[in-house]
Amino acid sequence: MTDTNSTAPAIAVEDLWQVFGENAAPALRDARGAGDDKAIAKELKDKTLIPAVRAANFEVKSGELFVIMGLSGSGKSTMIRCISRLIEPTAGSVRIDGEDILQASDKRLIDLRRHKLGMVFQHFGLFPHMTVADNVAFPLKMQGAGKAERRARALEVLQMVGLEGREDAYPRNLSGGQRQRVGIARSLAVNPDIWFLDEPFSALDPLIRRQLQDEFLNIQATLKKSIVFITHDIQEALKLADRIAIMRDGEIVQIGTPEEIVLHPVDDYVAEFSKDVPKGRHACVESILMDGIPDNMPDDPGIKIGMTLDTALTKCMELYEPVPVRDAEGKVIGAVHPHELANALQAEET
Amino acid sequence: MSAAEAVSVRAERKLTLTKGSQAALFVLAVVVTCRLLGAHFEWLVKWPAALTVPMADWMTWLVGGFLDIFKPIARAFTFLVSYPMEWVGWLLNAVPWPMIVAVVTAIGWMIGGIRLAALGFFGLMFVVFTGYWSQGMNTLALVAVSVPLALVMGAAIGILAFEYPRMKGAVNALLDVMQTVPTFAYLVPLLVLFGFGPVVGLIASAIYAAPPMARNVLLGLERVDTEIREAAVMSGGTRRQQLFLVELPAATQQIMIGVNQCLMAALSMVIIAAVIGGFDDIGWEVLQTMRKALFGPAFLAGSVIVVFAIIIDRMSAALAEPRQPQDRNVALGILAVGAAVTIWSLFAGWSPTGVAAMDGIAKRVDEGVGVFTATYGSTLDSVKNTSMFYGLLPLRIGLAEAVLPFTWGFAWTVKHTAMLYGAALLISLILIFKGRVTAAVMVLIIAYIAEIGVAHLAWPVVILGAGAIGWVSGGWKLARLAVILLSLILISGLWERALLSLYLAGAAVFACAVIGGLLGLWSAMSTTAWMVLRPICDFLQTIPLFVFLIPVLMFFQIGEFSAFIAICMYAVVPMIRYTRHGLVSTPDEIIEAATASGAGKWQTMFEVRAPFAAPTILLGLNQTILYAFAMLVIAALIGTTELGQSIFLALGQYDVGLGITAGAAMAILALVADRLVQGFAEERRQALGL
Repeated sequence: MTDTNSTAPAIAVEDLWQVFGENAAPALRDARGAGDDKAIAKELKDKTLIPAVRAANFEVKSGELFVIMGLSGSGKSTMIRCISRLIEPTAGSVRIDGEDILQASDKRLIDLRRHKLGMVFQHFGLFPHMTVADNVAFPLKMQGAGKAERRARALEVLQMVGLEGREDAYPRNLSGGQRQRVGIARSLAVNPDIWFLDEPFSALDPLIRRQLQDEFLNIQATLKKSIVFITHDIQEALKLADRIAIMRDGEIVQIGTPEEIVLHPVDDYVAEFSKDVPKGRHACVESILMDGIPDNMPDDPGIKIGMTLDTALTKCMELYEPVPVRDAEGKVIGAVHPHELANALQAEET
Repeated sequence: MSAAEAVSVRAERKLTLTKGSQAALFVLAVVVTCRLLGAHFEWLVKWPAALTVPMADWMTWLVGGFLDIFKPIARAFTFLVSYPMEWVGWLLNAVPWPMIVAVVTAIGWMIGGIRLAALGFFGLMFVVFTGYWSQGMNTLALVAVSVPLALVMGAAIGILAFEYPRMKGAVNALLDVMQTVPTFAYLVPLLVLFGFGPVVGLIASAIYAAPPMARNVLLGLERVDTEIREAAVMSGGTRRQQLFLVELPAATQQIMIGVNQCLMAALSMVIIAAVIGGFDDIGWEVLQTMRKALFGPAFLAGSVIVVFAIIIDRMSAALAEPRQPQDRNVALGILAVGAAVTIWSLFAGWSPTGVAAMDGIAKRVDEGVGVFTATYGSTLDSVKNTSMFYGLLPLRIGLAEAVLPFTWGFAWTVKHTAMLYGAALLISLILIFKGRVTAAVMVLIIAYIAEIGVAHLAWPVVILGAGAIGWVSGGWKLARLAVILLSLILISGLWERALLSLYLAGAAVFACAVIGGLLGLWSAMSTTAWMVLRPICDFLQTIPLFVFLIPVLMFFQIGEFSAFIAICMYAVVPMIRYTRHGLVSTPDEIIEAATASGAGKWQTMFEVRAPFAAPTILLGLNQTILYAFAMLVIAALIGTTELGQSIFLALGQYDVGLGITAGAAMAILALVADRLVQGFAEERRQALGL
């Protein structure tokens, strides 16, 4: 997953700190001498300050769906508000397409938000006094777009989220799932490059949640936004993410693909999350390739690169010898032992 | 927990005094000192006159200079405002009455359907038939000009406090002062500034009506959901766009509640401002007839005010709620009927000015009251005298002076004093034995108050007592505030009158707490009770303060007891409401848990609901206190000798210094009482994690 793309990352977060409490900035500066991040955080806590985000470092590539996951109170909501500068971070830098938005003037910030950024909220954040169409068109109104243009674009986006015909309803007349569709439509109205979603599906019923997740993936497949997605639900994170960052107590403890998180948790905390996750559904055969390729492989059930362990296992249920793994062109690039496959899936039960 | 452990825990509790018992013991020490040494050192009981500062004179000098500077500006403002006021007055009087009735009915239809349309129609028709139409319209003209002024002022203050959080503390203090300083107190400086005439009433009512608007705007803005706010930010709105396109509209409901309260406040103040006269409005009519003891007409004019108040209240309250759109054609039809009646009345030459269809009723009311008081006069008198001699008087001047042979049947001697203290000591010993130290000490202190009377309390007891309560309820900061503020009254020379105010308000608050608490409990237990009490509460809260005096005067004549009753009638409402609300709004889950544990109805009430409702009930008590102080000044109209009377005297004598000082003293009493109770409520809320 280290493809060297020449373009700058969509979002680059460097050494980001958010400390709550009085005189947080000077306190943080003083505490820097204490040593590593843990020592700094401890010193801040001793001064009754709250380090909600500690020394965060990560990048979101253009078109990537980056999920930040953690329990409530782990600082993930604070993190997304720092990146969108809804709150002022205490220290560090956030670059969006190379531009440090923490240095941006108020005017520039408004400009960025009018054209480049979109955000979806956990409890929808709809304006209760506006119709669905007016809600969706609100960012366009801020841009100064004309009435007809706003209406046209609102209907267009509403159709994309499957709400055609409801444009003149008020938010209070809609169900939870419909409200969040409005929220999504509004955040997409100005066609932003960067899309922030703060636990967008957490307030919804499981069934509606799954439905919206699928539609969200469809929308993303066509629009290819650069996304920061917050959730506390590991299943959701694994289902949607290109990469996941796991947070605990304001700290990012691991960043990796869903597969890496499931198969190689860095510590017990991360492992605890993925405990109940059916691994076979997220890990791919690459993760258990044998060293070298055996000369003699009698069976070839057609295992391919990128195939999940579950699928692979069903194909070689009856086999006991190593089988070849092929790439998209059909070239054999490795081998898997069915025994290893079964073992990988059962690793947690032992 | 084993029995032995329980005993040791109780023993421990006995040894370590709670904060409350420490404070009570401290106050007891002060009481004992004052009681024993008071005879020898008079300054311990009475603040020496030599140390009294002529605060009122200083105020006259200070404020007088200040007022002189602003006089020209104020007079120019008077000049400017008098025009719109005249126009509106002219307009309301010039438009034929059927049109106004039709317009109000149509508005009622549009915002609340048939119910409000009927209210508007019958209400205004009643006004037509009383013959007070033109006075009524004059009152409405005042309201119509002062309310927009108050709304703009209030909204601006609210937005300012919201946008600059640093100013919030200052603004809240200002609003507290605007609401606790009795309105009469600032009528005097306003008179000096703006000159005699209706404009003063208008400005006074705008000042009085602005705070509720400001508070609700601030509250509404603060309550806008964070995510809605953030959504506006992320949409790229400038601060102004966020505020005016998103936050204010999202806060509409709360703001409409502010508009409703603003209207009601303006109306009641416009009526009060009639005291300074100069304008032929309804308030003036009430005052005139009341002074002439014409209870029938006073009652009739008073009910016109009540009708206005109810119409304005219900219609503006309906605005705050989401509503169904109504058929526009019906409204147009109503207007058409109004126009038709107008034409008819023009041809027929019928005008409401001379109508006195209700005079018969007024006369009958007068006669009725006459007959009633003649028949039941002795009963009323004995009710009044009993409560005076056995309740109010001992509270005021103490058993030692109030108990006379001709009222109580025996004279108070040293022997009785000894008996009183002996009994108190006995009770407190029993309480100490039971481990309730605070209660024991309180019994002794109450015995002292009962003997001496509130009005004769030694000043160190009052000031240090308030300080001690403040310490328990809100820590050193509150204690300091209470002591400093009360000391200001002490050295101003208004101390005795302040104690009288305290006694009258205290007695009323106590009565309200008991009666209101019981009524609240009753309506929490039975829905039927609430169905009866609720409209009465609504009614009592909508009618302007002034009108309370009319029925009380009818039956009990002028005097302290009438004032007491008037205050109670007005101040009991929040106590009922909050008690019921607190008891009823315990979360269902908690009730279910209690039921599942096998608790009966009353067990649930006292073991579960009451503790949970405590903070709400305390808030109700707090409101009751503020209401009582607000009514105190009005009640002074019918003869009391406390601070309220000083304020009236100042008004009559055009004495700026006295008016402001007495007003400030009154505000200090209300403010201190308010903070003390709020401290306890806050503490309970935190204890319950609310």
